[in-house]
Amino acid sequence: MKKKILYAAILMSLILPTCFSFIAEAQDQKPKPEVKLTFDHFYDHAELTRALKMLQQAYPELMTVQSIGKSYQGRDIWAVIINNPKTGPADKKPGFYIDGNIHGNEIQGTEVALYTIYYLLKNFGQLDFVNRLLQDRSFYIVPTMNPDSRDYFLHLASDSNSPRSGLVPYDDDRDGLFDEDGADDLDGDGSITFMRKKDPYGNYKVSPDNPMVMIPCKPGEKGEYIFLGSEGIDNDGDGLINEDGPGGYDMNRNFGYNWQPNYVQRGAGDYPFCWPETKAVRDFIMAHPNIMGAQSFHNYGGMILRGPGAKNLGEVLPQDRQVYDYIGKQGEKILPGYRYITIYKDMYTVYGGSIDFFYNLLGIFTFSNELDFDQYAGLPASEKKSSEEDDEQVNRWFGPGGSPDEILYHQLVLMGEQLVEWKPYHHPLYGEIEIGGVKKFGRRVPALFRLPETCHRNAAFCLYHADQLPRLAFEEVRVSKLENGLYQIDLRIINKQVTPSISALAVQRKLHRPDKLIVEGKGKLISAGFLTDRYRNLTQPAKIRDNYFFVENGVPGFGQVNLRLIVEGSGELKVVYDSLKGGVIERKIALK
Amino acid sequence: MRRKILIVLLSFSLILFLLLVQNSFSIELKYHSPAEVSNFLKDISNKYPSLCSLSLLGKSSGGQKIFCLEIAAGRDKVAAEKRQAILVTANVEGLHLPGTEAALALAEKLLSGYGKDKSLTDLLDRKTVYIVPLLNPDAAAIYFSSVKYEKSSNDHPVDEDNDGLIDEDGPEDLNKDGLITMMRVKSPDGRWIIDPKDPRLMKLADSKKGEKGEYQLYTEGLDNDGDGLYNEDGPGGVELNRNFPHDFEYFNKSVGLYPVSEPETEALLKFMFDHKNIALVINFSTENNLLNLQQTGQARVGSDRVRVPRQFATFLGLDPDTEYSLKEIMDILKSMNIGGGMEIDESMVATFLGLGPAVTIDRQDMPIYEELQKEYKDGLKEAKLDFLEKRAKGVGKGSLVAFCYYQYGVPVFSFDLWQVPEPKKDEKKEALTPDKLKSMTSEEFLALGEEKIAAFLKDQGAPPNFSASLLINMVKSGQVTPAKMAEMMEKMPGRKSGADREENPEAYLLAYSDNILKGQGFVPWKPFKHPTLGEVEIGGFVPYLKYVPPAAELESTIRFHTDFCLKLMFRLAELRVKEVKAEKIGPDLYKIKVYLTNDGWLPTSTAQGRRALTAYPIRARLKLDKGQNLIAGRPMEIIPFLGSGDVRQLEWVVQARKNSRIKVEFWSNKLNPIETVIALD
Repeated sequence: MKKKILYAAILMSLILPTCFSFIAEAQDQKPKPEVKLTFDHFYDHAELTRALKMLQQAYPELMTVQSIGKSYQGRDIWAVIINNPKTGPADKKPGFYIDGNIHGNEIQGTEVALYTIYYLLKNFGQLDFVNRLLQDRSFYIVPTMNPDSRDYFLHLASDSNSPRSGLVPYDDDRDGLFDEDGADDLDGDGSITFMRKKDPYGNYKVSPDNPMVMIPCKPGEKGEYIFLGSEGIDNDGDGLINEDGPGGYDMNRNFGYNWQPNYVQRGAGDYPFCWPETKAVRDFIMAHPNIMGAQSFHNYGGMILRGPGAKNLGEVLPQDRQVYDYIGKQGEKILPGYRYITIYKDMYTVYGGSIDFFYNLLGIFTFSNELDFDQYAGLPASEKKSSEEDDEQVNRWFGPGGSPDEILYHQLVLMGEQLVEWKPYHHPLYGEIEIGGVKKFGRRVPALFRLPETCHRNAAFCLYHADQLPRLAFEEVRVSKLENGLYQIDLRIINKQVTPSISALAVQRKLHRPDKLIVEGKGKLISAGFLTDRYRNLTQPAKIRDNYFFVENGVPGFGQVNLRLIVEGSGELKVVYDSLKGGVIERKIALK
Repeated sequence: MRRKILIVLLSFSLILFLLLVQNSFSIELKYHSPAEVSNFLKDISNKYPSLCSLSLLGKSSGGQKIFCLEIAAGRDKVAAEKRQAILVTANVEGLHLPGTEAALALAEKLLSGYGKDKSLTDLLDRKTVYIVPLLNPDAAAIYFSSVKYEKSSNDHPVDEDNDGLIDEDGPEDLNKDGLITMMRVKSPDGRWIIDPKDPRLMKLADSKKGEKGEYQLYTEGLDNDGDGLYNEDGPGGVELNRNFPHDFEYFNKSVGLYPVSEPETEALLKFMFDHKNIALVINFSTENNLLNLQQTGQARVGSDRVRVPRQFATFLGLDPDTEYSLKEIMDILKSMNIGGGMEIDESMVATFLGLGPAVTIDRQDMPIYEELQKEYKDGLKEAKLDFLEKRAKGVGKGSLVAFCYYQYGVPVFSFDLWQVPEPKKDEKKEALTPDKLKSMTSEEFLALGEEKIAAFLKDQGAPPNFSASLLINMVKSGQVTPAKMAEMMEKMPGRKSGADREENPEAYLLAYSDNILKGQGFVPWKPFKHPTLGEVEIGGFVPYLKYVPPAAELESTIRFHTDFCLKLMFRLAELRVKEVKAEKIGPDLYKIKVYLTNDGWLPTSTAQGRRALTAYPIRARLKLDKGQNLIAGRPMEIIPFLGSGDVRQLEWVVQARKNSRIKVEFWSNKLNPIETVIALD
């Protein structure tokens, strides 16, 4: 009898999936189910995968999702391409690229990227701005570059700073063993918090105003506690605690421009693109040379960053800097409290960051946003008026325990959700200690009630930047008949947006092929030139190739190029302006 | 029917036998094509299965296999990757065919010598040798193709002329002689003239002397894409020996978009980082870094002393205008207790201060190179190979050799094996030139005496305050080496162009072709009707003239260099416990002392290896049994390194029973691990 049930069960399990697929197909015939995504929580890799698949089913004509490679642990790295095929193939339009979560613990970039996808799809056909974007732009979006550490951060015990790395085992302490001594969740609460020990010669004491706050002692003052670092034990018996945790490198130091080895740039990896995740993103972005603008998401501090990442690169060329400044300054208005700054000057030195690779070797205007900042008193830090006493507070190092403002915020606003009260624990090495402090979601990532705003404002910044990619058009096309079946065509190509069709750096360094003007149809291009002054009729000759010529400098932002063509032929011909990154436009011209 | 099969079988085995007899693995003096290299490696690994195995390192851009031969005896007892190892690499440039032959000869020497030669047997019993004889098969294949041209890049398609078309305008063998040579054509914008000393040679017209340019020079071929340029976007490729990540030249299409962009370079680096046991690299290429110590970067005297950026200086209480050594800064940081108990090392300080990469051989490592240089030069002289000195090439930007020293952090020695010999003539032997300076040791330089040095400085147009005595003092104090000096000299603006500089820089090649190759090194200029250039002449030096001599010429240099390489392998660091002491200092209480030493000639790591963090320190780990307790000392002591003959004393106090034993293990990534057992009685 039991056996029969078993057979039936096996049979059922074989039939059932086919039945369901029938149902699914039948549903496909019906009007598309509306996809509703919410941004009141963080998506793990499985949920992200489901969301992307659902969106693809709901908007098959606009969106494709593809795996651009597997992470070290075998998770798919998803890339979404959004394009309206009715207005041309994706690679003939300026492309805009977004990635998030390259650092495993900096998770909210994924939600911003997913929200941007969702927003574009939902509002297509509804909102003129989105319609215009999808008319002549395509989007390339990698919501998470680091799915392994994302899931680690979301599901395993960790703190707000880890794992930043990917999860390829790494011998941090150079003892021949890999990842053998990471932090340990000693109290089993799912989060790595901190250890403190009572010590009459300690350098911290408990605040008289708030028992959760640890105050550093003033000179000469007697302490009560010392901090012993993150929760953990000496797993490998070498006398050190937590010195070789999961991974231990930095994928955003592994990109191939101005790359420096580990001893110059910690975490750089053995050589550029040595990890599967950075390789996958490199291959994806290089397979789409039409990408002209890019955005990476990190946390935290409220910054809109641009390169260069290191002083040795010198400043960005003035023409390109104007483009960055124009978009960055608008960004400060879209993102109140965020500062538009330069990495090497205003933050710290980064060798081998993706931002420098994208701009310096691929000619892509790239920003990197540090999402969110502390809003303990409900005000961004920059706007906060401080009394003298506050100044003293700011200047004191409160250590891992957190400042009085932060703890108060956790108590009053988050109602203790991300705070672990100090509890005693018997440690194998330190003896009687206490464990407690702020949990992983309590720092660096926004509180869930603020996540939607982070998503929307940063998506708005991306779409603003995408809108500012080159938008080219023909203007003032004039045909005049010359003798012997020759025609002179004067035309002007304008760029309505701030981004040039080729970056100044790409022109200077010959990063990719220049723009070209092609004559198609029944016309032979005899001669051509750039009208440098159309009123005085000054031209500079162009080198004619096989019915096309190169426009080496492209069309500047908010600018124009004026061309004069001498063509032999009759009837109708087509003039095509083909820019690798600025899009392809064409105009039919009748010779008469 | 059966008979037929039998006959076929028999004849097969006969062929096989003949093949085997032929392949007796003595160095057959010929150049092996990439396919023949693979066969050689397969055959040799079949012949010595217990001593070696062949693995695939990866594939070239053109899809050819790159092999690595692993040689070690007794791998069933100790795995190859658990031993100290030597990596031998060759022909990363593709046109350095002698390198491949030397690597194959070295493999053969090691394998056939095992069990016969005591030191070789000992080497393979205890260490591992990895041999990669052909890193750039795509380029090497061109030497064996029907049309030869000097190619050092792989087959990765590259748009050299940035026109959106790839590999559309390569060279053509217009005169059908199987060689790509040059075309000279009279042209109004020509800058070249025929050298009046020898009409086969071309020289740049010097208008200041009344010479007027007549000719344009092109490589042999057509303008396939009609852009007015000739052969500007040929097949491939990326030059692999400029694709490594130390001092990489960005924005140069022929070296790759970014470092390690190529499958060949990535395959090698992945192998090297997967095999951190590699403690020494021997390379065969056009670079000879023992004869020419010049490094890729700008010479910077005393680069280990640095200025501290102002904001840090104020914070640390230092003077921003004074130079400090890394150690001094490290000590200050330590004394301020910055880093919360983290171990602060020099590399962290360098990172913190944003010092960037090292560009010169570390002063502590310099003696290794200088001492070996002397020994090597003496050896060359004895083997009558000292003609190599004059044109020895230093380490190139983005080269494999530079990567090995600066980033992989091991001693690396590169040999060019052969150079076009100089024509015999009565040279002013006495006169010093920057070229000679490059290959001089400090001792040799000082032996010249002040007078000669002063004359040299004057000839080079050195400024008056740059006196001979100043230079002598700098060399004596180790502030500057002759190689660095040569580099500085070459950059001096006031350099005289002496009469002997008038010589056409290619004259020696022609002399070599005429005198030794019986004219076979030069294709005489012959008229040719070119479709777009009109009347041209095609001719010039035969490709590979500078790099590939007749195979027979290699015998003595390969014999000498393979022997010298073995000598280098015998010099690796070796840990040994010199003595242990256990002193009873109380009931069940022992003070243990262990004296650790390095018996090798080389230090356990290079200073650059330590800075680069790739050569790990030595870890001494106390293994205690149950019931044994550590009272004083750390369970794991870290010894940064041991120079040759250095002794380090380690001390622990342990609570343990009488007659029990305590084990100490010593480990580092680039050394053979050892252990010692201490009996308590």
